[in-house]
Amino acid sequence: MSYIEVNDLRKTFVVRKKRARASLFRDKERVEALRGLSFQVGRGELIGYIGPNGAGKSTTIKILSGILTPESGSVLIDGRTPWADRREHVRHIGVVFGQRTQLWWDVPIIDSFSLLRDIYRLPEAAWKRRLDELTDALQLGSLLRTPLRLLSLGQRMKAELCGSLLHEPELLFLDEPSIGLDSVSKLALRQFLQWENRERGTTVMLTTHDMEDIAALCPRVMVLGHGSKLFDGALTDLLSRYDTSRTVTVRFSGKYDLDGLPAGLDVSREGENVIIAYSLRSLPTPVLLERLQRAGEIREMTIQPQNIDHMIADMYREMAL
Amino acid sequence: MKSYLSVFRLRLRMELQYRGAMLGGILCQVFFGLILIALYRTLYASRPQALPLESVVTYVWLQQAFFRMVLSSDDELMDKIRTGGIAYDLCRPVSLYGFYYARIAAMKLTGSAMRAVPMLVFAALLPKGWNIAPPASIPAAALGLCSLTLGLLCVTALENISMGFTMRTLDFRGIRAVMNLLMTLLCGNILPLTLFPDSWQKVITLLPYAQLLDAPIRLYTGQYGMDAAIRVIGLQAGWTLLLILLGTLLWRRNRSRLTVQGG
Repeated sequence: MSYIEVNDLRKTFVVRKKRARASLFRDKERVEALRGLSFQVGRGELIGYIGPNGAGKSTTIKILSGILTPESGSVLIDGRTPWADRREHVRHIGVVFGQRTQLWWDVPIIDSFSLLRDIYRLPEAAWKRRLDELTDALQLGSLLRTPLRLLSLGQRMKAELCGSLLHEPELLFLDEPSIGLDSVSKLALRQFLQWENRERGTTVMLTTHDMEDIAALCPRVMVLGHGSKLFDGALTDLLSRYDTSRTVTVRFSGKYDLDGLPAGLDVSREGENVIIAYSLRSLPTPVLLERLQRAGEIREMTIQPQNIDHMIADMYREMAL
Repeated sequence: MKSYLSVFRLRLRMELQYRGAMLGGILCQVFFGLILIALYRTLYASRPQALPLESVVTYVWLQQAFFRMVLSSDDELMDKIRTGGIAYDLCRPVSLYGFYYARIAAMKLTGSAMRAVPMLVFAALLPKGWNIAPPASIPAAALGLCSLTLGLLCVTALENISMGFTMRTLDFRGIRAVMNLLMTLLCGNILPLTLFPDSWQKVITLLPYAQLLDAPIRLYTGQYGMDAAIRVIGLQAGWTLLLILLGTLLWRRNRSRLTVQGG
């Protein structure tokens, strides 16, 4: 049996909507957030969980972390049902909600960390050792005595992450942890997650819209849409179906003549650069290169793969999400 | 237990950061105290009441000094419930009820202790007829303090119930307006309960609101004999237990039908 076993999970929310402007009456609408979701995750996996807004990702995370109770279906994490054994379950997990904060706003973050020590009943020595380890890895040491409200968004996210990992959880849920982070912080966050996963074998489930995070971190990806699982496997497998076009940028020395190129290409010019977008299905790259060489003397050339966000957008469109 | 004590401690430390608010609160409460006393002095000058003026003055000062216990004031917690920040608290291996109980109690305790001490010193230094009287006796002081502690536990339980309802309505303003009105009126903050007609007092002093400040003040001024003191402390303890029980049940029911707001 896998570490996480999810079977036919269903959750419906009732959303109340005003009928019209200034109307006193409201309509109830049932929104099916999850419609029979099933999956397994093994211990020590680092899994990416993606899908468009409103697909049910956060709902899944909240059920798996014991916050929400589903209508039906079963979840077993290391033999525990999260919502039924909530207090026991949450001892073993860490959660980061990228858009919320768990630390206290007006006091130095070390005070919030001390509170967490007492809440999780961590022995002083173990807590201290872990805190040192985390502050080293996240470079938080100099900020411990600063109140949370004075930290930047990136610093805050690091502090949040530190807070969620103090009790050495074996399972970590990250709900959009890289929201609003700059590139340096993002890279640091990725490095840290990899380290935590490799060194301690922490199972990580990562929800994000940042495809670069997924590409860099997650060997396995799950795609959710309208509350159902649409794909589960390696990211490269997922993308190969949608990875259908390339963009080539060429700079010729001297005169050139593009008439010899196949028809139906999207050609544009930007200064001296000629930019050609083409579909791999209708035009193999070697054929295009050969034609380009005939068109003139090439001084410089780059071929760009398709932007990963575009691929995901294509995928969502095709799956009618 | 340690986790609840810890959240209590942290909340205490946090309250200490708002010194400006404390000063403002003291000035406001002193002002109200003086106005009310001036009012009662005028009333007594034209038509003396059965209750001596000195005890009314003492009643007013004690009510004003501990005003911070009366009103519900943990806006941050209310906001947490409204916007879904509560999700994090649900990921902790603690009982949510106990967690919030400790938090509210800490806020009420520090908020009022920090204001009460300077205010009571000030009120004791005022000229006769305006000043607060010392406790009737040493046992009266001890009973009053014990009763004030129970009052704090009782009002915290009451407020935690309104927090529980906030989880259902998601807008705390209505509940809070009603709670604060009932509270200020029935705990004796607007008009000392001792000045209500006797028949009214019989009912009002049985309500949970009166357990907060009215009961300890009456013990402090020695209005209750030993028998009455035991009965009133028993009543306070009874209400506290009942309200904690109701609150726990409410929060437990809330858990199963919870929706976290804001994604």
